[in-house]
Amino acid sequence: MKRLLDWIDDRTGIASLTREALFERVPGGARWRYVWGSTLSFAIMVQFITGIFLWMAYSPSATTAWESVYYIQNEMSYGWLLRGIHHWTAQIMVILLLLHLVQVVIDSAYRAPREFNFWFGVILLFITLAISLTGYLLPWDQKGFWATKVATNLAGIVPFIGDDIQKVIIGGSDYGHHTLTRFFALHAGVLPGALVALIVVHIYLFRRHGITEAKPATRAGALYYWSLLGVVFGTLTALAFAFEENTKQWVPKIVCGVFLAILIRIGFLIRSGKDDDSATRPKRDGMFWPDQILKDAIACAAVMGAVLFFVFWKGTELTPPADPSQPYNAARPDWYFMSLFQMLKFSAFEGAFGLLIGAIFVPSILVTAIFIMPLMGQSKKGHWINVVMLYSLIGGFVILTAMGFNHDANDEEYKQGVLNAHAEAERLNELIDINGGIPPEGALTLLYKDPKIRGARLYAANCASCHPYGGEDGLGAKAKDPSAPDLKGVGSKKWIAGLLDHNRYVSEEYFGKTKFSKGKMARHLKDIDMLPEDIEVVSAALASEAKVYGYSLPEGGQDFIDSGFDLMFEDFECADCHGIQGEDEGSGPSLTGYMSRDWMIDFIGDPTHEKFYGKKNDRMPSFLGAKQEDGTMKAGELSRKEVELIVGWLREEWPRASE
Amino acid sequence: MTAEKPEENQAAKTPSDQPDETARREFIAKAVSVFAGGAIVSVPIGVGVATLLGPAFKEGQGGIKIRLAALEDLPGDGSPKLYQVVAERKDAWTKYPQKPIGSVFLQKLEDGGVIAFNSSCPHAGCSVGFKSKEVGYYCPCHESIFLLDGSRGDPCVSPRGLDSLEVDKEKLLNGDVWVTFQNFAAGIEGKKAI
Repeated sequence: MKRLLDWIDDRTGIASLTREALFERVPGGARWRYVWGSTLSFAIMVQFITGIFLWMAYSPSATTAWESVYYIQNEMSYGWLLRGIHHWTAQIMVILLLLHLVQVVIDSAYRAPREFNFWFGVILLFITLAISLTGYLLPWDQKGFWATKVATNLAGIVPFIGDDIQKVIIGGSDYGHHTLTRFFALHAGVLPGALVALIVVHIYLFRRHGITEAKPATRAGALYYWSLLGVVFGTLTALAFAFEENTKQWVPKIVCGVFLAILIRIGFLIRSGKDDDSATRPKRDGMFWPDQILKDAIACAAVMGAVLFFVFWKGTELTPPADPSQPYNAARPDWYFMSLFQMLKFSAFEGAFGLLIGAIFVPSILVTAIFIMPLMGQSKKGHWINVVMLYSLIGGFVILTAMGFNHDANDEEYKQGVLNAHAEAERLNELIDINGGIPPEGALTLLYKDPKIRGARLYAANCASCHPYGGEDGLGAKAKDPSAPDLKGVGSKKWIAGLLDHNRYVSEEYFGKTKFSKGKMARHLKDIDMLPEDIEVVSAALASEAKVYGYSLPEGGQDFIDSGFDLMFEDFECADCHGIQGEDEGSGPSLTGYMSRDWMIDFIGDPTHEKFYGKKNDRMPSFLGAKQEDGTMKAGELSRKEVELIVGWLREEWPRASE
Repeated sequence: MTAEKPEENQAAKTPSDQPDETARREFIAKAVSVFAGGAIVSVPIGVGVATLLGPAFKEGQGGIKIRLAALEDLPGDGSPKLYQVVAERKDAWTKYPQKPIGSVFLQKLEDGGVIAFNSSCPHAGCSVGFKSKEVGYYCPCHESIFLLDGSRGDPCVSPRGLDSLEVDKEKLLNGDVWVTFQNFAAGIEGKKAI
């Protein structure tokens, strides 16, 4: 065995390489504060491993990207866990990157001879962010699609060549197959390749120069750093309060929390009493293996623990498939780009020029500032400027991010957008189950054929400006200024019973805001003054015509229904105006097949038809078109399919998993 | 601020006052490092491998009963005719309502019955063609010949004859040829449905 190992070593030099890798001297001994670089490397390794396995199941095209991610998430064994680890490690990786950067600057690890390594590190930071940005699009869901659209449009405003840059990035002028193939190649090929190459150089240079030994920890030194951090954060918090107009809504909880934490830390430092400048830790050097590796391994385990915690706690979101025609009120970049996103809301960055400043120049200046840090930091004063600058950057990052999230937490449209997206995603999963898979044209077609989702959207867009739905617009937002009957539960016995109650008929719930509130029917209802038991039986009769979802024969059976029709014909003289059960069509809307699927489609199609309101129609458009007086047809605003979807939604006739 | 501090380096090599204790600590440190390191790296690898091996534990979609032809359309002289099998099939996430999934030779027998063969060669899965009534079926990949009744001819490197498929006898009485289409594992002697 030994001979075999010796032979391998002789030909490859692996033993000496391992020795060199493991037996690195750690000046001042192994320390917890040295673990950040290793945790970062570990996170990147996890991303490579999980990424390659995801690659084996992912299919980058506009009709398969979402679908394959759905399959990974919901049908592949442990696919949800694989995707979860990849997603959450990406989040934690950004935090680790920032910590790594802060530590390098504070410990002035960018000073000679380490300038180049700092620059490589900064480039690595941006490559990682680019990998995150490209990865955000790959599921091709609403969230990723809209966020990427914003990001790539911003690339388009670069002076002179912006247009071309944008087209090259997205593979044309529209987002589609080639946007995905390009982003995927960048995400899984080009950028990780560059990342590995630069990490090799980064680690080589790091080993060449050795660990930057942290100064012996002294209370005075620590107090100095923390106080500085406190002053920077305090100033930024104060500025945020001063410039935020809506202070009532604006509680930068995160910033205040950070500021408070800093103050507490300073308090503890002051309390810790006597000056302990005599170093508290052993000055003896340690070795990378096993001293530092043990600490690194434990820190990496903590990172993995945090990742798994989030996977199990929060899951991994997959919003509905990308749909350029379907506005998404909850379109936001991932949290680490939230600060840039938020910054663009400031009036200082208004207009085309403002956008150019905010989206291109300001970030470029900040990047330049980071790049010149090693040159600035050669002197003590320069170093302090760097530290203040970095603290300000991070403070700004935290504050803007907090402002963004705070704004969203108070933004009804955003919250409704998130709720709807979740409901739609859940419904889509149900539809895929019912269908036994996804159609070749993609999952979006399932949503488009679904009365529950599409019907509600069409209702909100075409009907809700007059007809509320349970006081809302059908998509959860409060109805604005309704002027026609509320159609929630339309055709049900309960809804019809309300219609027959004079007081309710003339209220805003039904016809209060239409001319029918003073019409013949209103007067008639007042005259006949139906008793509750009459309403009960007549509404049962009419509901038997409608037969909306969930309809069942009343207790008294068919006889009870027949007695309702008898009442309508005889006692209440309904047939004077209305056609009932195919007889005596009159001037009022036909009650034959009242609120049945066909009746509703015809009614929405053309309420001015003589079968319905005729000339007495009050403002309701003929959605499928109507014959005009000169005999020509006026086209409607909707297609028959769309009207069917609206009717299906109102009647709650949509596919259900149990059926 | 550089790492060059020779005197401290010396210190690291100074033997401890308690060599046993140091050795024990170092051993524990090494053991914990290896264990923790291995455990955390095995999480992403393990999960990835689990997703990768998933298909091995999934059942195939089984046979499908499908009408291929009317009895009267089959050649009366008993020579086989190839029919394409198009059926609803799920490919990972996609459900195809009409997807070509294979092809079947149908042969009318003298007694009025019908035999059906999957056109996939049982040797390695190439597509078998029909040559002539005298020669029989011929697989161009490894030059195997199968007789008209599907059995192995000469030469034939296939471990078994063509895979016959079940023909619904009752439906045949009404003049319709319904076949249970199914694929079988290639390269083995037995007929194992996949």
